[in-house]
Amino acid sequence: MKLFVKIFLWFTLATALNFAVITYITRTFQTEPMFSRWQRSATNQLVFYGATAEQIYGASGQPGLTEFLSRLKDNATIQDVDLLDADGNLVFGQREGIHDFDSMVAKADAASGPEIDVDTSDAGLGVVPVNLSDGRRMVLAVRWAPPRAPSLFFDSWLGYMRLGGLVLVALFVTYMLATYLATPIRKLRNATNRLADGDLKTRVEARLGRRRDELGDLARDFDKMAGRIESLITSQQRLSRDVSHELRSPLARLNVALEIAKQKANPENLPILNRIEIESQRLNDMIGRLLTLARLESGAEEIEHNKVDLSELVRDVAADADFEARANGRYVNVIETDRCAVVGSENLLRSAIENVLRNAVRYTPEGTAVDVSLIRENGHARVTVVDQGGGVPEAELPYLFKPFYRVGEARERKTGGIGLGLAIAEQAVMAHKGTISARNRDGGLQIEIELDTAKN
Amino acid sequence: MVDKILIIDDDEELCELVSEYLTVEGFEVESVNDGESGLNRALADGFDMVILDVMLPKMNGFDVLRSLRQESKLPVLMLTARGDDMERIVGLEIGADDYLPKPFNPRELAARLRAILRRSAVPETAIGNEVIEIDGVRLSPASRSATLDGTELNLTSVEFGLLHELLKEAGRVVKKDDLSERVLERKLSPYDRSLDMHISNLRKKLGQRGDGSDRIKTIRSVGYIYTVV
Repeated sequence: MKLFVKIFLWFTLATALNFAVITYITRTFQTEPMFSRWQRSATNQLVFYGATAEQIYGASGQPGLTEFLSRLKDNATIQDVDLLDADGNLVFGQREGIHDFDSMVAKADAASGPEIDVDTSDAGLGVVPVNLSDGRRMVLAVRWAPPRAPSLFFDSWLGYMRLGGLVLVALFVTYMLATYLATPIRKLRNATNRLADGDLKTRVEARLGRRRDELGDLARDFDKMAGRIESLITSQQRLSRDVSHELRSPLARLNVALEIAKQKANPENLPILNRIEIESQRLNDMIGRLLTLARLESGAEEIEHNKVDLSELVRDVAADADFEARANGRYVNVIETDRCAVVGSENLLRSAIENVLRNAVRYTPEGTAVDVSLIRENGHARVTVVDQGGGVPEAELPYLFKPFYRVGEARERKTGGIGLGLAIAEQAVMAHKGTISARNRDGGLQIEIELDTAKN
Repeated sequence: MVDKILIIDDDEELCELVSEYLTVEGFEVESVNDGESGLNRALADGFDMVILDVMLPKMNGFDVLRSLRQESKLPVLMLTARGDDMERIVGLEIGADDYLPKPFNPRELAARLRAILRRSAVPETAIGNEVIEIDGVRLSPASRSATLDGTELNLTSVEFGLLHELLKEAGRVVKKDDLSERVLERKLSPYDRSLDMHISNLRKKLGQRGDGSDRIKTIRSVGYIYTVV
């Protein structure tokens, strides 16, 4: 709508300027020459009327003159005719209110020739001295219809109709133009948002129709860009997936070879072989998680639409995590779980909550507990996990969900973590159109997962 | 008697290593590197167990399993891609007896093989071996077959074991830990979802009762119960 207002203002301005220019040109090159032509012909007529009046008076006296003047007054283009004597008394006519009449008469009298004056608002007035055959000197005054160009808008209902029509046309054209311009822009915006949200397959040209203008070009450029981004990201994802996948074959062989070595090993070699086994197990975990992450990021994972009892899931995962944590002298407390269900994949949601919880258990100091709660509020389900591990620097909070991101000082590299858990959790939550966020709270890190609850 | 194992996996080197390891562990092993010949070998008599990889040339693991299941109840352990839930679920649904994410720990592989082999062996004189029949479900431990209203249920050995345990204590809750130890022959570990998956497949095969109620109910974080009407 902002665009509409802007276009409307510009369009109205352009129209107004157009009229100003046209009016100026009309006035300069049409009205003024027309006026001087009229003035010339009026002067000639006036002289002719004066001479005729003199002749008629000479031939038929006062009655003839009065008849002539009456006929003259009946003329359609003439509004009024007056005849005055030298003292300014009316001999004929009513002298309908014309200001400057007296000065006009005086001027004409003095010049003893015709005088024409046009007032912009009044009729054109011409005066001419008339010398009657009996020696009396008189002045004939003739008033014509105003010789002026009609005002376009402001002098009649027709003018106001024109003005109204103009505004209506401006609104209509503006509306069409705004729609014409804004619709493709809105489509482009939607597409941009979808692309930003990770839908890399977004294309816009087909939705814009066959436009050949700049907006069509923009759409084609957008598609080119989207295609490029899609191919870059998918090839990067494919690379990490393929690498992980390919790494597993040698790792599988390594595991078996290691076990064979252990079958045949002397007892003194066993500790080092066990060490190799632990490391290969870590590699294994890491690759498994990388693959999970790659699959989630690529969006290839088909998200199921099952109703998942979140309260049950949270308690389940918390119980598992508590069991595991107790082995290391840590605990998981379930503070509260409101009954609520969400729609999605139980496995993905489980892995999201599990990863967040295990991460919290890893960083909370020995002898302390991780608090878990599930709160239902305004159609949202909020899972909150708080540890007591001292939190992370504020500046690093936004990066916690990046794969392999490690927090600098506060959380040193500890056993086990490979920095993929929270990334997986984020992807799993995003696949459910939920949000995950981190903040420091009471000397610990709080991770919050928010999901839309299932209807009814 | 030595158990004969067939490995169907396209990684020849891995097959060699696994063969060597399992031979030391007391199995007799043969390996095949593509799905088609794997299926043919599996259908030929003489094997006690198949280890089947999902990604195979010519015919993938799922197709091999599907074809195999049409003719044989030969126990199958699937090697699935680690972290891929879909592969696990599909594998169990088609009729794999168990799965192991690849790369696997060979000790675990040997343990699973033994567990499956023990389960699928027909118990001869064990107690609790009598035929159980509860509302249309008939389970015969001697022939390791289960029918529902006379129709064969085609259970895998794990599903059969689970149903057996639940039916033996029908109407009472059976703990997850006990089910895991008695049927899967391993301790229930945190985050392990395989028991739930097997139960879920078993539920699908059993279906609901006429009145729409579930035959097997979940008692959250405790176990399962076979409900009695």
